[in-house]
Amino acid sequence: MNTTKTSASSQTAAASGASELPLAGIRVMDVATVIAAPYCATILGEFGADVLKVEHPVGGDALRRFGTPSQRGDTLVWMSESRNKRSVTLDLRKPEGVQLFKELIAKTDVLCENFRTGTLEKWGLGWDVLHAINPRLIMLRVTGYGQTGPYSDRPGFARVAHAVGGIAYLAGMPKGTPVTPGSTTLGDYMTGLYGCLGVLMALRHRDLTGEGQYVDAALYESVFRCTEELAPAFAMYGTVRERQGSSHNDFACPHGHFATKDGKWVAISTATDKLFRRLAMAMGRPELAASSTYGEQKTRLEHRHDVNEIVRDWCGSLTREQVLEKCYATDTPAGPLNNIADIFGDRQFHARRNLVAIDDPETGESIIVPSPVPALSETPGSIRSLGPKLGEHTDEVLAEVLGMNATQIAELRAKRVI
Amino acid sequence: MTVSTRAEGGAASETAAAQSADATQPDDAPRPLSGIRVIDVGNFLAGPYAAAMMGEFGAEVLKVEHPIGGDPMRRFGTPTSRPDATLKWLSESRNKKSVTIDLRQEEGVQLFLRLVAKSDVLIENFRPGTMEEWGLTWEALTEANPRLVMLRVSGYGQTGPYRRRSGFAHIAQAFGGLNYLAGFPGETPVLPGTVPLGDYIASLYGAIGIMVALRHREKTGRGQIIDVGIYEAIFRMMEEIASVYGVSGKVREREGSGSFVAVPHGHFRTRDDKWIAIACTTDKMFERLSVAMGQRQLSSSGLYGDQRKRLAARDVVNAMVIEWVGSLDRDEVLRLCLAEEVPVGKVNSIADIFEDEHFIARGNLAHIIDDELGDIVVPGVVPTLSATPGRITNLGPTLGNATDSVMRELLGLTTAELQRLHQHKII
Repeated sequence: MNTTKTSASSQTAAASGASELPLAGIRVMDVATVIAAPYCATILGEFGADVLKVEHPVGGDALRRFGTPSQRGDTLVWMSESRNKRSVTLDLRKPEGVQLFKELIAKTDVLCENFRTGTLEKWGLGWDVLHAINPRLIMLRVTGYGQTGPYSDRPGFARVAHAVGGIAYLAGMPKGTPVTPGSTTLGDYMTGLYGCLGVLMALRHRDLTGEGQYVDAALYESVFRCTEELAPAFAMYGTVRERQGSSHNDFACPHGHFATKDGKWVAISTATDKLFRRLAMAMGRPELAASSTYGEQKTRLEHRHDVNEIVRDWCGSLTREQVLEKCYATDTPAGPLNNIADIFGDRQFHARRNLVAIDDPETGESIIVPSPVPALSETPGSIRSLGPKLGEHTDEVLAEVLGMNATQIAELRAKRVI
Repeated sequence: MTVSTRAEGGAASETAAAQSADATQPDDAPRPLSGIRVIDVGNFLAGPYAAAMMGEFGAEVLKVEHPIGGDPMRRFGTPTSRPDATLKWLSESRNKKSVTIDLRQEEGVQLFLRLVAKSDVLIENFRPGTMEEWGLTWEALTEANPRLVMLRVSGYGQTGPYRRRSGFAHIAQAFGGLNYLAGFPGETPVLPGTVPLGDYIASLYGAIGIMVALRHREKTGRGQIIDVGIYEAIFRMMEEIASVYGVSGKVREREGSGSFVAVPHGHFRTRDDKWIAIACTTDKMFERLSVAMGQRQLSSSGLYGDQRKRLAARDVVNAMVIEWVGSLDRDEVLRLCLAEEVPVGKVNSIADIFEDEHFIARGNLAHIIDDELGDIVVPGVVPTLSATPGRITNLGPTLGNATDSVMRELLGLTTAELQRLHQHKII
């Protein structure tokens, strides 16, 4: 682990300034909370946008308290996902806060928000008002169910979105309890991605026409959009896909997770007959792929229990490393089920610099975070700072963006507007 | 497979058709990527889905396929009566035109480079090194088109020791750390819902990279490469897991249907043998649940009003919720929870989704007519843009449906030349 930190640290030094980045000159206001809409702002920030994280003066974004705390007190996920942002406190429940917000909107390109539907409207900050102030504004609105439709006013979390969007139903052993699909925040990140793509397309349209617009993203829709042929297969054949445990048994066999002798797991995926031949070679049993029973996907699927048992026995007789070595030697699609300890020790993660260690200037604590994705050859994203302290940049932003002086700022602070 | 819900599905579909038609924008609404030409030379989904999204928002997408058989996704998944199209192909190759070119022949490579010269974006997902073997190096591509933006998706990325390994979504998701976390503690890790989740997610990152690179190109005139490993797209979404391991050495394990940071937060079985999800992320949410359960005292400070106390008494709290949910039908649990604004939802099967009024109202089930197969229901466009919405203009094309027209219009080939190229199976 120490080597990881050392090698990761040296990579952060390479992070370049934001001025050459492709989104330099774009100002983003992130008035959202937790992960979904803020993650859109995070990506824009990695590629050079100036992201103002607008938070309530008392406590700020709930993400600061959700999960495992850092030495500073803010959680590790806050430190990671609020990278590159500047924190500005503003109480939108006070009329003066609303006024300041409007002044900032006039100087902003992108607004990210994820309040319950109607909340901004209640504060007098609906789309019509903001659009009138700044016709070039792009606004990302993330909610559990979207801005329209009968459930639009329901509270939405990713957990619920996974369920409503159809993937929770599919995760788990057949007829067993549906499980979390790996992470409780998957839908948040996915929606951040869809939202970010929408914002970037809207920016392109704005640059061509001068016309701003809003992007309406719903957590459940991001999940549902990624359910491949579930919908057409139900519509055409009435097929209701059920939980399938570790394997995609309808189309490929063997395909799944297998335990190894040392109590670890490997994933093996043989989507075609050619790939099964390679696996049979790896297992030292090429005759399996030659047989009329197992040589073809169709018959393998009919005998899936036997095939899976053969593979299970083979994997169970070797260590994970041995299984993978044999699979890689014949080019069989296989890989480890990495846990985070495996990942920290893995050469590929190191070579691709997927882990970056950054020191919190406040406490000196070294925090390892995932580096920006995707990798761009000419204008790579960068992490220039970890999540800011609450209100760390309020004064500097009010002075820089709105031209306020120290007296005006002190007055606002006394009234607890900031 | 079951066909028992066919009739209900059909009925719901008709309603969906009526409703989604209302939501559909006129065909002449502007689209933000009009004028952008994308060549999608990938197979399956990882990368090609980025092209599909760009097509939804107005880009012209040329799906370049091998003249014999084309993209294997045409044969992967649930078949239709069209021999060159599974349902997966029809849905996810939406808005594309199919152009056949054999890149294993020198003349095919030359034709391809001429198309690249007339395009803005190239998307590929061959195993790293494959395009180079065909002479399609970055140098050759940028010589043809210095403004080219290229998305390369692979299991492990273009660099690093594992770059040449075959990388399917299932393997890459496992490698990226997601599959380890799906399932019950100490039991077999399961698939995190659907198999190609990693393909979709890698494509989303790829599409974002393309948009950023296009913006940079507008400013500087220079293109660039976007390099996405499916595994790292997955790993990027692992919230605090790396940071926690980094500071404390704590390894996140499978958590079944629950969550390590909040209680109650998971899936619960109802009396009628269905499932609901409840997410009490905060104390306020638990207070609402306790009211819905008619046991407000549970959220008092003396009992379980505080998240830390609930986490410490996880089994006791979950047992109470399990018992309450299990004593009622799904609809009743939902009604009581929604009345108190508890974050709750059905664990929907696809049959549930087709009956759901919200999916229908949002136009999430799009009905698109295929010339041969008729009405096909596919997921609608995500995300929704207010001024320049995306749309689905066609389902997955037949193999080579646009080869001749594209070769004529973009490259100026004659009928005689086309005939010769067809004869030699170059196109």
